[in-house]
Amino acid sequence: MKRVQFEHSAVPYLFVAPQILIISIFFLWPAAQAVYQSFLLEDAFGMSSQFVWFRNFEDVLSSASWSRSAIFTVIFSVAVAVISITISLFLAVRADEVIRGAKSYRTLLMWGYAVAPPVAGLLGNMMFNPLMGDLYKAFNSFGFEFNHIQNANDAAFVVILIAVWKQVSVNFIFFLSGLQGIPKSVQEAATLDCKSAERRFWTITFPLLAPTTFFLLVINLTYAFFETFGIIDVSTKGSPGGATATLVYKVYVDGFIGADLGGSSAQSVLLMIMVSILTVFQFRFIERKVHY
Amino acid sequence: MATVTLNQAEKTYPNGYKAIHGIDLAIKDGEFTVLVGPSGCGKSTLLRMIAGLESISAGEISIDDKVVNKVAPADRDIAMVFQNYALYPHMNNFDNMAYGLRNRGYSKTDIESKVREAARILQLEDHLERKPRQLSGGQRQRVAMGRAIVRQPKVFLFDEPLSNLDAKLRVDMRLEIKNLQQRLGITSVYVTHDQVEAMTLADRLIVMNGGVAEQIGTPIDIYEKPATKFVAGFIGSPAMNFLTAKVSDDCKHVIVGDGVMLDIDHDVAGGQAVTAGIRPEHLSLANNGDGHINAVVRMVESLGAETLVYLDFGSGADNVTLRLQGTHQFAKNDALSLTVQADKIHLFDIETGKRI
Repeated sequence: MKRVQFEHSAVPYLFVAPQILIISIFFLWPAAQAVYQSFLLEDAFGMSSQFVWFRNFEDVLSSASWSRSAIFTVIFSVAVAVISITISLFLAVRADEVIRGAKSYRTLLMWGYAVAPPVAGLLGNMMFNPLMGDLYKAFNSFGFEFNHIQNANDAAFVVILIAVWKQVSVNFIFFLSGLQGIPKSVQEAATLDCKSAERRFWTITFPLLAPTTFFLLVINLTYAFFETFGIIDVSTKGSPGGATATLVYKVYVDGFIGADLGGSSAQSVLLMIMVSILTVFQFRFIERKVHY
Repeated sequence: MATVTLNQAEKTYPNGYKAIHGIDLAIKDGEFTVLVGPSGCGKSTLLRMIAGLESISAGEISIDDKVVNKVAPADRDIAMVFQNYALYPHMNNFDNMAYGLRNRGYSKTDIESKVREAARILQLEDHLERKPRQLSGGQRQRVAMGRAIVRQPKVFLFDEPLSNLDAKLRVDMRLEIKNLQQRLGITSVYVTHDQVEAMTLADRLIVMNGGVAEQIGTPIDIYEKPATKFVAGFIGSPAMNFLTAKVSDDCKHVIVGDGVMLDIDHDVAGGQAVTAGIRPEHLSLANNGDGHINAVVRMVESLGAETLVYLDFGSGADNVTLRLQGTHQFAKNDALSLTVQADKIHLFDIETGKRI
């Protein structure tokens, strides 16, 4: 097929120029810098640096703290994605059934979306404060020996809880609009064909929501990987002993606090590669199965 | 095989809007009943009440003498065909038809044979492995029909199933539905706004308006003796001509327009103002000046087999439609003389619209 060709003019390039400029300055250039830095070893005072090929990568991959952080990141991301998707799907299905006061319900459920991650982290921090935190007190008064300052599992629970809470409203919005996109007559046809509402959900509604669920899975994993930085920094700061430091948080700690620019750059390059592989995998293998 | 009985069935929405005002209806076993009316008349609501998709505010609906007001839609043993097909987009056509059977615990071999049989009847055998979106509108409609017939339900419900199809396909499917229904002998309720569909499909026709059944009867009964002015205007195409008229003092004529006298044979009080109705096909051309009505051509539509002529008469306030067989050549402003078949004149009360 022959495409219609219009005469070229500079105007379209002018329109996209600001966007390209922003991407170049804030994304491409730093990314290139990170790749470059990852091959350098700097002295402790940042006075000189030397090209060391892949030594930074070797160090990172052989370090116990990095593998520990990688394992935590995987558990954390999967937990956040699965739990927040499950909760928001449940909420969306219930809110979709509400007839009276539907708007207020939905608005209230969406409110969490407006909360910035560090603010969510701060809220969590206050609620789990050993001196005045209500949740901290509540858990302990129920007999759990809850101490997220010292216990790694408890600390992980706190960051997962905050991250999930923050993400539920985003997922809720997508699920609700997904549910409303299912033709009413299809659901009615299903009520004639199948008596059990639960079975109807799993055989009709859920499969029809699969593309939405897949999209949210991608979004939520990315969120758990990168955007939870603010939550972790304000709540646990990776404590106890780096048990709740995700890979992104570790990049920050090692690079900006530990002043190991080369090592932290190597980590971020590895992170970049991991996320690329994850994304390709998601779109290659999962997306095919969910679209009808 | 089943009967459907409505006993003062009513529907009032939570906002107070009354969509259905107490309808009584007894549908016989195997009967094809058509609900027809303009949009918003409540015909779909009534169908959905029978299906159980809308609650019943008052009165009772029974299927086979069993009141189903509180019975879940899936337990009413009905099948419904929707206007937009409402197929499950993520399932292939086989699964679409099998879904209802699976949920009712039929055995695998049973399902297989039932779906294959339905597919054979509807000529869908080659499309069972495909998904609905890979089919044309007519084929999707067949799958929707298949989904209804595999279960051999007590009652078929059709909610304007043909209105998304193009004109030719609509005629084909109309015949097919009628054929299928007669073959299977399943009691059916069919909703449409298309009066041709209504006339051709129905064993019994229910003309609805504003949530009320204006008239219930066979299509021909309704055509010949419309109970109200609304029914008279709704059934028949082109629509019946209505003329404001007055009954002469001797009760033997009505006077329309500028003193035109038409013979009537009705039991009606003299001097009364009425609406006189005459169908376009019951007017005929007369030799110049010999007819009852002298009128002027405003517009002509030639359909080949017949010609529709729109005329103004009297002071121009009244207009009539004339339906003639074959082709005719008329020009705008031609003067025509029309004869009215006296025994085909319908009189309606000017206030209530009821037939006199």
